[in-house]
Amino acid sequence: MNKKLLGVIDATTYYDDLKDLTTHRSLAALPFAGRYRLIDFVLSSMVNSTIHSVAIFPKYQYRSLMDHLGSGKNWGLDRKRDGLFFFPSPNLDTPSAGIGSFSHFAANLDYLYKSTQEYAIIANCYTIFNMDFQPVLDRHIEMGCDITEICHNGQSLDMYLVKTSLLIELIETRHQTGYTCMKDVVNGIVPFTLCTYEYLGLAYKVDSITAYYQTSMNILHPTVLENLFISSQPIFTKVKDEPPTQYQKEAVIKNAMVANGCIINGVVENSIISRGVKIGKGTIIRNSIIMQKCQIGDNCVIDSAILDKDVRVESGTFMNGSKEKPLVIRKGTVQGALMNS
Amino acid sequence: MIKKKCIAMLLAGGKGSRLNSLTKEIAKPAVPFGGKYRIIDFALSNCTNSGIDTVGVLTQYQPLVLNSYIGIGSTWDLDRKDGGVTVLPPYSASSEVKWYTGTASAVYQNLNYIEQHNPEHVLILSGDHIYKMNYEQMLDYHIDKKSDGTISVIEVPWDEANRFGIMNTDKELAVTDFAEKPEVPQNNLASMGIYIFKWEVLKEYLFMDAKNTESSHDFGKDIIPMLLHDQKKLFAYPFKGYWKDVGTVKSLWEANMDLLDDNCDLDLFDYEWRIYSVNPNQKPQYISPEAEVNESLLNEGCTIEGIVHKSVLFQGVTVKKGAMVKESVIMPDAVIGENVFIERAIVPSHIRIPDNTVIKADKNSEEIVLVTEEIIASK
Repeated sequence: MNKKLLGVIDATTYYDDLKDLTTHRSLAALPFAGRYRLIDFVLSSMVNSTIHSVAIFPKYQYRSLMDHLGSGKNWGLDRKRDGLFFFPSPNLDTPSAGIGSFSHFAANLDYLYKSTQEYAIIANCYTIFNMDFQPVLDRHIEMGCDITEICHNGQSLDMYLVKTSLLIELIETRHQTGYTCMKDVVNGIVPFTLCTYEYLGLAYKVDSITAYYQTSMNILHPTVLENLFISSQPIFTKVKDEPPTQYQKEAVIKNAMVANGCIINGVVENSIISRGVKIGKGTIIRNSIIMQKCQIGDNCVIDSAILDKDVRVESGTFMNGSKEKPLVIRKGTVQGALMNS
Repeated sequence: MIKKKCIAMLLAGGKGSRLNSLTKEIAKPAVPFGGKYRIIDFALSNCTNSGIDTVGVLTQYQPLVLNSYIGIGSTWDLDRKDGGVTVLPPYSASSEVKWYTGTASAVYQNLNYIEQHNPEHVLILSGDHIYKMNYEQMLDYHIDKKSDGTISVIEVPWDEANRFGIMNTDKELAVTDFAEKPEVPQNNLASMGIYIFKWEVLKEYLFMDAKNTESSHDFGKDIIPMLLHDQKKLFAYPFKGYWKDVGTVKSLWEANMDLLDDNCDLDLFDYEWRIYSVNPNQKPQYISPEAEVNESLLNEGCTIEGIVHKSVLFQGVTVKKGAMVKESVIMPDAVIGENVFIERAIVPSHIRIPDNTVIKADKNSEEIVLVTEEIIASK
């Protein structure tokens, strides 16, 4: 019996609260932890669970997502057989159903028909976790389940395990049953054996700015860091050819995560610094998330802020939000000392 | 087949015995450098940045790590349909195994590889040096001068000229004489071990050299003098910029320290001339609340809880609480235990330094400590 799994990632989700960070990119491609994108966590979890065929269903602004994933090489998914499949939504007008929208899958049913894997995992793209799906499958088979819903702290993680043949059936009969997505099925009255699987590791859903900010700050705790980045289950991402990070004479770094290619000559505390960021002399950055290639001049103070990619901050600029409501600076903007005085 | 203008032959068989334990299990070109690179990354990146898309890499000594590191060359964008990178180990001929006995014999034994690409010119490189150089400009110069052989040279301090192969030239930079480590140097233009030859000319001389049983089969010692003797047109190509032979523990340490100088000529942050390297998949570096890090270069995957000052740390290095790392080079996945003090040292890959160990060179000594398991055991 072929007990193999295939992966389905629903990357169609859009949250209005995150619009400042998702106007140029899909949620799946939101940068996280200095060098990753949200989708890296679920995709790496799948790959580490020996899933060799992954289908990604994106909808909005998926250029950055495609650029990030490429051929799937960084995840070992550039295969002759199976590998990474990309199925953009054919109809942008239809309102988004829950995770695992059947109408979206229906347009690409051929993928499921052709797949040889007996089981499928359907997952969202915005959960930060590092999970092995094999125990879910083992339990699913052992308990004779038809659908297993993965939960964390009693709450659904919006991830489901089903037989591929059942998934096809659910999609084909969606007009008769009225079920639009997996959530409808598990909440409905169905002739199936429903199970839940409680995941005991760490899992954070990034569904708002506050959740994004809090989750980012959480990874500065060594225990969270150890649970998320496990050497036997690495989180893969698109690699960049950045040099190592250079800390200059005036650099003072406390409790920070820093990616490669940065040049730092200021003070950084409780913050996450992405690849290729420049931080000038006398500048203080606290409780903030600085994304790729931001350039911050001298003598700035930035507290409780999220700077999207390519933001330029002129010398002498002060800006701060609060831990409850971090200041979000949009991609590619220039922030000057005179602008907010 | 369409003629290739120029292909490169990269000599990467060097044993690098003066690097002691660092080259016990790996060839010198595979020695880690600059927080994330291996020495050979510089020559390979220079090739791809110079538009040279066909590179034969000649390996011999401890090739396992080097061969798997180079792979199909995709790291340097050298996985090409036509050309790309090819690892060329010594092979067994019908009668005997032919080891590469000298730089020239290594190239001679791969005549078939070169002929297969049918180039007009061949660039000979060494995988032992740290520098950024546009070989295309050198090739233009070589073609412009209608040269049979062009040797890249760099000005060295006069008092050090006796340690190098020195090119004596006329005003037009035509080479008149070559002196290997001259006692009384007449010039300070040192050969960098980088040559471009017209393939037709080089081929002829490689055949001649192979027949000569007296020859040491070396480009500098044998081929260049033969060409000079026959009055072939040889020119020196003056190179300006950072160039360092990292053949000793001291010079390897110095070259790493050079990177910490803000005014260093070797700019790793130049996006127009990137140095490519196999990217290990590591989490971002984590600097704890107790840590201090300045004037240093750190790669991804480092975890720092102690003090790091004027040092270069490779991927996956851990510096534990109370430890102090000063003016040192810490290679991949090394662990510096609690309250360790380490100064002016190179710590090779995967070494664990136990808590409370003190490692530093003797006072007044210029030497650099290359940490080994024996040194740790003696503490």
